[in-house]
Amino acid sequence: MASTHSTDATTDQRHGRSWFTGRLVAFCLASTALTAAAGLIQVSFGSYSMTITQAWSALVSPDIVLDPAVWNAFLLGGELPEMDNVPLIVWNIRLPRVLVAVLTGATLGVSGAIFQAVTRNELASPYILGVSSGAGLAVLLTLVVFSGLAPFLPLIAAAGGTVAFALVYAIAWKGGTSPVRLVLAGVIVGTVFQSLQTGVFFFADDLGVVQSAIAWTTGSLTGTDWEQVRLAILPAAFALLFALLGARQLNVLLLGERTAQSLGMRVERVRFLLSGVAILAASTAIAIAGIVGFVGLIVPHVVRNVVGGDYRRLMIGSIFAGPALMVVADVGARLGMGALPWFGPVQVPVGVVTGLIGGPYFLYLMRRQQQMGEI
Amino acid sequence: MAEADEQHETDDEAGPVREWLTDDEGRKIESAIVAEQLDLRYPTSEEAVVECARLDIPEGEVTALVGPNGSGKSTLLKSLSNHLEPEAGTVTLHGRDVQSLDQDELAREMGVLSQENESPGSITVEDLAYHGRYPHRGFFESVSDEDHAAVDDAIEMAGVGHLRDTELGQLSGGQKQLAWIAMVLAQDTDVLLLDEPTTFLDLHHQFRVLETVRQLNEHEDVTVAVVLHDIAQAARFADNLVAMREGELYDWGPPEQVVTEQLLADVFGVEARVEYEPELQILPKRALSE
Repeated sequence: MASTHSTDATTDQRHGRSWFTGRLVAFCLASTALTAAAGLIQVSFGSYSMTITQAWSALVSPDIVLDPAVWNAFLLGGELPEMDNVPLIVWNIRLPRVLVAVLTGATLGVSGAIFQAVTRNELASPYILGVSSGAGLAVLLTLVVFSGLAPFLPLIAAAGGTVAFALVYAIAWKGGTSPVRLVLAGVIVGTVFQSLQTGVFFFADDLGVVQSAIAWTTGSLTGTDWEQVRLAILPAAFALLFALLGARQLNVLLLGERTAQSLGMRVERVRFLLSGVAILAASTAIAIAGIVGFVGLIVPHVVRNVVGGDYRRLMIGSIFAGPALMVVADVGARLGMGALPWFGPVQVPVGVVTGLIGGPYFLYLMRRQQQMGEI
Repeated sequence: MAEADEQHETDDEAGPVREWLTDDEGRKIESAIVAEQLDLRYPTSEEAVVECARLDIPEGEVTALVGPNGSGKSTLLKSLSNHLEPEAGTVTLHGRDVQSLDQDELAREMGVLSQENESPGSITVEDLAYHGRYPHRGFFESVSDEDHAAVDDAIEMAGVGHLRDTELGQLSGGQKQLAWIAMVLAQDTDVLLLDEPTTFLDLHHQFRVLETVRQLNEHEDVTVAVVLHDIAQAARFADNLVAMREGELYDWGPPEQVVTEQLLADVFGVEARVEYEPELQILPKRALSE
């Protein structure tokens, strides 16, 4: 028995930390590197021409980084001190857009990961429970009908998404819910709201309003700045923190409701709370970037393929991989057209790029895997 | 071995009806679980699926629920584990109504293994076993020494030590079942409910599973209630049998008393010879016409 005792000791140490693998660390580092590289490209190139050295030196310039007045302006909305054109463009226009992309990617990635576990479906997205259609309808109504409320658009979009989610839950509830009922209710609410949304489009008589609406419903980071960062940073931090804390519960939920209940989990409560966290994350992303598609769907997939299905790893990986995908996609959205010789420097909504990445990715997955749709 | 105190009520439909079990000196045997005046039905059914005046699961013994398909065994077991709320009646665990217990409180006292279990294919046997410690861990608590010890014991008892790091998706049906049993064992409960744990297994694994359960009962004094399809198997491994027919209890008690040629004909629709020496043997001959 002596030999088994010593192996027991090493097993203890092994399991205590065994879920935090080297592979996860490597994946997170790689994602961070990719995010940083894409971010640097975003900061260095654009319609205002500057050299790369100019851009990078502005980024690390101690006059700006160590000036409390500057951070007061960025984080608290105070007045921005005087600065030259290059640092101004870098810090006030290009950099916040990267940060918004980071926040959007992280929240969407985490939201998708949670919903894939709650609905036990690998093809679930953050929008599966009605968030996107609710937000979309709210956006359209605000832009076309209640144009006086336009300044509050981010909050209205987030609220619309949350109301739609509550409606989905109410429809799916019959003494409790189940993954199937939730998904079906999501389809019901989604179809109705989507149709209403399309209907509202026809009442728009201003092309600018229509383009604005399209940018919102496709997802766009054009024109985002520190205001969006300020809006999103606290809810996003909150949502990400709770997503990490809830990751272990998701592992148990994946064993099926009956097993989870037998193990002592209050399944309905945990499922509702975690869905709430996912909705908070998705609404935050919608409020600052509009309804960006595919990120919440692809990110958990990619992470799962690399680090495995344990949600403690999956959640961490999604927080790093989401920003990487978003910033890279945003490079394509902002600079992609300008790089092609026969187009001018026109920006496209980032949702277009993520869709163009998402489709081929799933084609690749489909050719590679035997089983799809089940975790 | 206690003998049932018989109070016969000749009821042609239901067979001999007995009151609670008493031992040789007439003392009442303690029951881990008592179900009284149960009326169980599914949301879609208009009539009761199971009706039972009283069911005892004696403490520290292995009780097997047997009966043909559709007799209500699984339904009854579900109500005992609070997975199915009774239309009427109560189920008490160690004297306390199971519906009044918190979910995790119940999970610390009662382990349940369902008939069908699903999991991500990528989870390892060891990870699955650690899930068994869920009711013992607080939200923010990390894995304790007690958890490690419980999991190690569970894996050893279930005999899957050599499969510890293997993913569930790569195991055979029998090995998977043993992995699930390891999870339930890691829960370290006083009572264990198993719903047809051997139905889809080959003979070797059927015996492994039942032996594990038997050992658990003998060494750790765990009360076991198991639904078994095979009455011969049940007679061999259980201390008590509860025979069900069409949603009602037909008879219960030690196997030697319950298993009779009459029971096999009435409940299972089979003509068989039953021998009691040197040990209980059932020799089925043919199916009886409806």
